[in-house]
Amino acid sequence: MRVHFKWWGLVFVLPAVAFFAAFNVFPMLFGLYLSLTDYDLLNPPIWVGLDNFANLLADRLFLTALRNTLLFVLGATLPVWVLSLLAALLFDQAFRGRDILKAAFFLPVLPPVVVVAVIWRVLLHPNGVMTWLIGGGWGVTEIRWLADAVLAPLSMIAVHDWAAIPFFMVIWLAGLAGVPPELREAAALDGAGAVRIFWYIELPHLRATAVLVAALSSINAFQAFALQYVIPTDPGGPANSTLVLGLLVLKYGFQYFRMGDAAAVSMVMFAMILIVTIVQLRFNRRA
Amino acid sequence: MTIWIRLATAFVVLAWTGAASAQQVTLRMWMHEHPPRIPIDKQIVADFEKANPDIKVDHEIIPVAEYPTKLLTAFAAGSGPDVFNYASMLVAQYYNAHILAPIDFAAMGLADEQALTSQFAGGLDGIRFKGKLYGIPTEVSNWACFANNAIWREAGLDPDKDFPRTWEDLPAVAEKLTQRDSNGVPRRRGFDFDWPNRATFWFMPNTMLHQLGATMIDEENYTATIDTPAARKAFHYFQDWANKWRLGGPQYTDSRTEFLGGRLATDCSFGIWGIPQMVSAKIDWSVHPAPRWKDAVSDNGIDIYAFYMMVNARSSPAAQKAAWKLVRFYTDHAAELFAGAGLFVPRKEVLESEAYKTNPAAPFFLSELKKAQFSPRVVGYDQVLDAMLRGRDAMLQGQSVESVLPTMNDEVNAVLNRERARAAAMAR
Repeated sequence: MRVHFKWWGLVFVLPAVAFFAAFNVFPMLFGLYLSLTDYDLLNPPIWVGLDNFANLLADRLFLTALRNTLLFVLGATLPVWVLSLLAALLFDQAFRGRDILKAAFFLPVLPPVVVVAVIWRVLLHPNGVMTWLIGGGWGVTEIRWLADAVLAPLSMIAVHDWAAIPFFMVIWLAGLAGVPPELREAAALDGAGAVRIFWYIELPHLRATAVLVAALSSINAFQAFALQYVIPTDPGGPANSTLVLGLLVLKYGFQYFRMGDAAAVSMVMFAMILIVTIVQLRFNRRA
Repeated sequence: MTIWIRLATAFVVLAWTGAASAQQVTLRMWMHEHPPRIPIDKQIVADFEKANPDIKVDHEIIPVAEYPTKLLTAFAAGSGPDVFNYASMLVAQYYNAHILAPIDFAAMGLADEQALTSQFAGGLDGIRFKGKLYGIPTEVSNWACFANNAIWREAGLDPDKDFPRTWEDLPAVAEKLTQRDSNGVPRRRGFDFDWPNRATFWFMPNTMLHQLGATMIDEENYTATIDTPAARKAFHYFQDWANKWRLGGPQYTDSRTEFLGGRLATDCSFGIWGIPQMVSAKIDWSVHPAPRWKDAVSDNGIDIYAFYMMVNARSSPAAQKAAWKLVRFYTDHAAELFAGAGLFVPRKEVLESEAYKTNPAAPFFLSELKKAQFSPRVVGYDQVLDAMLRGRDAMLQGQSVESVLPTMNDEVNAVLNRERARAAAMAR
């Protein structure tokens, strides 16, 4: 069969390609170029080769931000996968008031993340609602959720997971909807209980969904920024305990006048997310 | 013949209008948003354009939160404003990048520097680099301590008599004013530093060190001098304030909000501009000098900061001349800006104005301002401040002052060395 190449077809895709090139490809390439320069935004960039990347290895701020980001990724993925799956399994059952409860459970997903952050900043006041809810029973009247270097990063994870779990629950529910009901019925007829049905029937069918949930939640967590910027009294504080890579890019670029370092950190973030994406694609193929 | 006359006339008219448009200068002027100032600014700009028909001013008002990034990215894109207003803490970066033009006294219609400085009772040191002036103040501000008289009286104290003169006396007075719950958690604070405000941890430690005859950064030599007995004394004070005396800390709502809400008895983070806010919040206030150390060698109050109107050194020479003309015209309205927008500049017209004479706190602020100093101005201000805040947080998390200060000193020195080297490399 002869395939005719239609040149005029290019005309139709050209605007989209041009847009993508101008607003995605060019900034990425320019970012790569900047990562190889020392650039204070006020003077022309000076070429420094790979110095910025080499310096990152000994940069205490970068290493702190990297460690915090990895801890945040851990806290923003594993509990989210398990809890959102449990929530999906719960809402997959038929019970009275399920739809209303499901809608209420989904509510945290609706407001923009900055609004969520502002609300939680109020709730996490040392003498605020969360202290009353959690410490009230024991007579505790002050918990330094955001001023304690251990509690502050945990608070970020808790707020993130609060909004992320309902979102991923919906994805799991979509996956569960794809499990053929006759398989469940057959298993039930053969005497399988809920746990066995989940383990042997549902879970194998949820492989592709699991890969998607894992990839999306990891990428989302690597890009953490808004919560750590808005909730703590000082963005990234106290004592840098909530400083994540996304926040470090902002600090380096626009507060420290070190755009070359900011671009280098961005490239590291890009590489980390790329690895997650490649792993996801591999697993997706197998799934 | 007629056709020739017509052509000649058209040529003359075109040449004349062409010349006129060649002389026309359009200035881009950027000011950060301060609502009470906006109508005054607009009027000043309109009057300036009327008085200078060859100069058009494109006046842009930018929200405070966006201002630093917008200014930075505008310069990065080569489209920085010709005239702009900025704070003293942040001008060093722009000075080092050769973006600030030195004052053109002739363009401003002044004979020399003396003709300018003689008009001011202070505030120019924040924009002087290596002996040269690079801007004119549009606001010079120093914080002082305000007492909520009602809370003081309720605690059986008279702010005029009992206001602590020294930092050492402050905790005991603050404790008397503090209301605590059964766990000892402050429910109403007697006094607290404005911890969430980053600038507080620039002004306050610097103020305390200045009083002891020391400084955190030697601006001339670009060296950190943080690991010193004076700094240890100041940082012990902050640590004890939050951890030992439990009189406040960064976990609580910022002090300005609490003071205006009637939940904080004393606050030392308002300037003269804060009085209208206290009046509208119906706070019965009185103003007092910031405490000094018992062994202070300098009688300075809280460090000064200022906003300056500056000119972009990368603008064309014609634009720069026009810009300095605008700066002169604008800053000559200092009395009007003080009366209408509360922006204080210690210059003759202001000190002789009705608004100044009828403001009961004004002489007090001027007297404190004359004794105060500017905090150091360094390239990499935000990096230095972040290093200090990290150190402060580490102390509040329980690390000893003695173990944190050497690290803080090294970190700040590393920042200063790198930034000075970068500035030198970029200047080449």
